[in-house]
Amino acid sequence: MIEFRNVSKLYETGTEAVHDATFTIDKGEFAFLVGTSGSGKSTLIKLILKEEEVSQGNIIINGKDITFLKPRRVPYLRRSMGVVFQDFRLLPDKTVYENVAFAMYIVKATPKHIRRQVPMVLSLVGLSNKAKMYPNELSGGEQQRVALARALVNNPSMIIADEPTGNLDPETAWDIMNLLNEINARGTTVVMATHAKDIVDKMKKRVIEINAGKIVRDDRKGGYDSGK
Amino acid sequence: MGSNYLIREGFKNVFKNKKATIISLITMICTMFLFGTFFTIGENVNSILEQVQKKQGMEVFIENDATDEQMSSLEEQIKALEGINTVTFKSKQEALDSMKENLKDNQELLEGYEGENNIFPASFIVTLTDLGLAIDIEAKIGAMTNVKKITSNNETILALMNIANIFRMAIGVIFGFLLIISITIIANTIRLTVFARRKEISIMKYVGATNRFIRWPFIIEGIIIGILAAALTIFMIGAIYNGVIQWIEQANVLQSIGVTLLQFSEIVKMIAIVYLALGIGVGVMGSSISMKKYLEV
Repeated sequence: MIEFRNVSKLYETGTEAVHDATFTIDKGEFAFLVGTSGSGKSTLIKLILKEEEVSQGNIIINGKDITFLKPRRVPYLRRSMGVVFQDFRLLPDKTVYENVAFAMYIVKATPKHIRRQVPMVLSLVGLSNKAKMYPNELSGGEQQRVALARALVNNPSMIIADEPTGNLDPETAWDIMNLLNEINARGTTVVMATHAKDIVDKMKKRVIEINAGKIVRDDRKGGYDSGK
Repeated sequence: MGSNYLIREGFKNVFKNKKATIISLITMICTMFLFGTFFTIGENVNSILEQVQKKQGMEVFIENDATDEQMSSLEEQIKALEGINTVTFKSKQEALDSMKENLKDNQELLEGYEGENNIFPASFIVTLTDLGLAIDIEAKIGAMTNVKKITSNNETILALMNIANIFRMAIGVIFGFLLIISITIIANTIRLTVFARRKEISIMKYVGATNRFIRWPFIIEGIIIGILAAALTIFMIGAIYNGVIQWIEQANVLQSIGVTLLQFSEIVKMIAIVYLALGIGVGVMGSSISMKKYLEV
């Protein structure tokens, strides 16, 4: 599903954010990317999203080498993945419903399909009764659930989450994790960059640790720190 | 359906970003107004020049003893010259009649000049297609036989034309400057709007929106503002133009040289086309230029 082959990323500033990273995340897997701030986690996510170009190596997503994907094709790549960020990134002047429906307009879904699909994902994330509210009327956890609904609405084959619990209190964070777990159980691949130690330790999922740009650990059922 | 959504978003943006909309509207109206002012003046100068060219020519007086054949041969010779628009014969009787009309209250001065005693010469009124040839033509006609005298105010008109030409060029230059200024100002205004919405744009990019999809609402917004500005400016220009025309006509300056100004209905079509092209063009260009940076995520 996501394959990195000897990928390096050298920024123009001279920092080598990723050095010779090789790993494969299979379909249906749940993988944590862990590491301290500045370790290269975010760069890995950006490379998957094709927000940054690799300097060396190849990235294969869904069986397609995206290393030299034309910029024009990038939007179509992104439609195969749902993206969730630490800061939610909702449109403040659109309601919950519109924020989710918006992702469907972009892929040119039919109005009929939109009317059916949006309430479905909203109920999946438990926000059916808040469809008409605006993001600023919601708690952080609820906003992140809207973001998740938006990520899910087009049935992507994978969810890419960059510190999705970073702005949430522990309890709310677990709500989101349970949701992600549930989504994963339905067959969607989940890749989540985080430095929430307790979450990683309790979930017992695959852990890929990156340190100073290098993949230093890849445990099938790991904890946040090695040896756990 | 996709296009419906994009058009709706464009409309929503117009009302959502009231401040940006008003700034863009005012900028566009100001430039369009200046533009329109110079445009209407320019169009009128062109029209007056054309009228003057068509009307003005010269009066070629014929020797009293010329026979009818000689006169018609002279007419043929004049018509054969290059740059001649019309040649109209004015008989001795017509010359007397027009003089009578000019001397309304002093008819007694013309007593005794009727019939055989008519001292007013017959003439050809010659108008030209191109006033630039006036001096040349005047010399050629003057050399023909049976021509007594030629009167014209070609020199005054040529001087007028020179002034008008300079004025026309000046308008062209101002036109160009205004266009550059308005595109710059509007591109900057749109850039501000885009900057204010860079977050929205980046979200759209992450959800997998194509650049075209992102750009359309902005372009539609630009077009709507352009059309609005065009409509408002046409109203303003129209009202002012009609007022000024009336005032000039009352002042009776132009009738004395026999030209009329254009009615607003005659130029409104051209103005509307220019404005719409300007509004739409600037909207499309402005949004494309100013969005480039934010589409590269």
